[in-house]
Amino acid sequence: MLEIIRIHNELMGTYGDRGNADVLKFRASIGGIRSQVTDISYTQVIPRTADIYLLGGAEDAAQVLSYAALAKSKALGTAVSKGAVVLAVCAGFQIIGNSFVANDEKYSGLGLIDVHTSAGKKRLVGDIAIESEFFDANLTGFENHSGITALGKSVMPLGKVVVGNGNGVADVDGAVSGNIFGTYLHGPVLARNPEFADLLLERAVGEPIKVIHDELADQYAKWRRAAIK
Amino acid sequence: MANPRLAFAIAVAKSAGFASKLIGNKGETLPGRILLALEPEAISLLARNKKIILISGTNGKTSTTKAVATIVRQLGTVTTSGSGSNLSWGAAGALMSRAEYAVLEIDELHLPSIIAQSDPEIVLLLNLTRDQLHRMHEVKRVSDRWHVECAEASNTIFIGDIDDPYINYALANATNSVRVSFGGRAHPDGAVCPRCGSYLKWVGANYSCSCGLTNKISDRKFKKGSAASRNAALANVVGEVLDAKPVKFKESELQRNITKEFAGKKAHFRLTKNPASWTEALSAEHKSDVILVLNSRQVDGIDTSWLWDVSFKPLKGKKVIVCGERGIDMAYRLHVEGIESTLVNNFDEAIALVKKKEVSVLAAYTAFFELVM
Repeated sequence: MLEIIRIHNELMGTYGDRGNADVLKFRASIGGIRSQVTDISYTQVIPRTADIYLLGGAEDAAQVLSYAALAKSKALGTAVSKGAVVLAVCAGFQIIGNSFVANDEKYSGLGLIDVHTSAGKKRLVGDIAIESEFFDANLTGFENHSGITALGKSVMPLGKVVVGNGNGVADVDGAVSGNIFGTYLHGPVLARNPEFADLLLERAVGEPIKVIHDELADQYAKWRRAAIK
Repeated sequence: MANPRLAFAIAVAKSAGFASKLIGNKGETLPGRILLALEPEAISLLARNKKIILISGTNGKTSTTKAVATIVRQLGTVTTSGSGSNLSWGAAGALMSRAEYAVLEIDELHLPSIIAQSDPEIVLLLNLTRDQLHRMHEVKRVSDRWHVECAEASNTIFIGDIDDPYINYALANATNSVRVSFGGRAHPDGAVCPRCGSYLKWVGANYSCSCGLTNKISDRKFKKGSAASRNAALANVVGEVLDAKPVKFKESELQRNITKEFAGKKAHFRLTKNPASWTEALSAEHKSDVILVLNSRQVDGIDTSWLWDVSFKPLKGKKVIVCGERGIDMAYRLHVEGIESTLVNNFDEAIALVKKKEVSVLAAYTAFFELVM
């Protein structure tokens, strides 16, 4: 049973990112992989033994609360050291790095991936497309943030920006290190890019999975790619 | 009129509006745009001779503004906003009238500036939830601006539904306020206290924060009800402050519902535009055939990520047909929730698939206006 944990959705669910968990479970079921999604709220203990952890976007005050709870629990760090998969979007992506800024204050981050986020001067809002070496086709999504995220030497970006801003520096979006994936793409990103969902499932299962067929998902992804280029 | 520049600006704006209508435009925003271009101070100048009542909030602005206008008409002549024209030029256009009262719907982001310019008698704040995030960015950002302006406008009486923590926070430092509660209700974006940033403590539908922000202490209490019934009650609180008699409204008068014949079928349209309004609309009764129309133009919100924050489960078991410029976003979202829909290219194709005599249509903002107005 694949355990998918949706962390603090009431705080980190400003932008529909809860859908990433729904898409993972949906595609897993098509692929014959049993899975379950568990919502862990701010007041609950975060399990250390799950397979996939999901973090979404948030407003500043919510981001700070979620960060404080995650830093105190250390569960995510423990899970990552055992090989768990993490997908962190926008504010969630900032939290898992080495520093971020919220409400004009600097926080040290969870340190799961070597990225540093500073406050940008303008809001980066709009459709985004990135070219990623993990996938044959571009990933698409929608970004809405003002963070500028710089990558450390040990991490690679999720992709090169084709349309939009992404990390706001170096023309790239997101970051990848081992099984940790960060990105600024909302949409939700796994709904608009089914191949990304499948990569996460494969990483969590630990071996190649059966090809997952879902015509509507492919049609949707293709249509978004054609719309944003 | 003592101010010749203002008089000239009004004359030009009115004739431009008239000309625009002659060539077939609705002409609702053009006069206001011209007026403000010729006299940037027009709103504050015109507001001096009127009693101003402003209505704002994420959902229910237009219908509540209509209800307030109906109530205030008992007291004197009223000018009010053209349907949905709630930016500064919409306000300026409405203020050109010689009516004694102006009852105006104002966009959330424009509200602080219109309050500052018009020094209103009353401002009614309905609710704040996620909407058009490409423009609003964050709910907290909007409520921060309201909070500051409510504290500044010491002549104004602010009436607000404090079951919404963002409205309660907006009113927190107002000199004059009427804080209304309907016994509490859950808020989709209410996990964090907008005032102090703590995790907001909710017990059932009521919240209280260690900083003191709570909906348990209010000036007026009403029983729980739909968004329409709440907005009717709030409109009557405005009337009460002005000494007008209460007016009874039907639920449907405070909903953006329109029934129209299409291809021999009775189509019951309802306007839906963000997670809160979709959730409210889906909780109502619907026919067994339902058409969903989704667009993503500016006023619809240019992104559709929010669809995943709405549960479409009430549509399970119904025949669902989807269309609109972003129909495929809707179809895939439903698909993952286990609801199979038929995706078609346009509304004509959708209505052709309806076999029953009546159909419910839930339509995004721009689709609603194109199809029924």
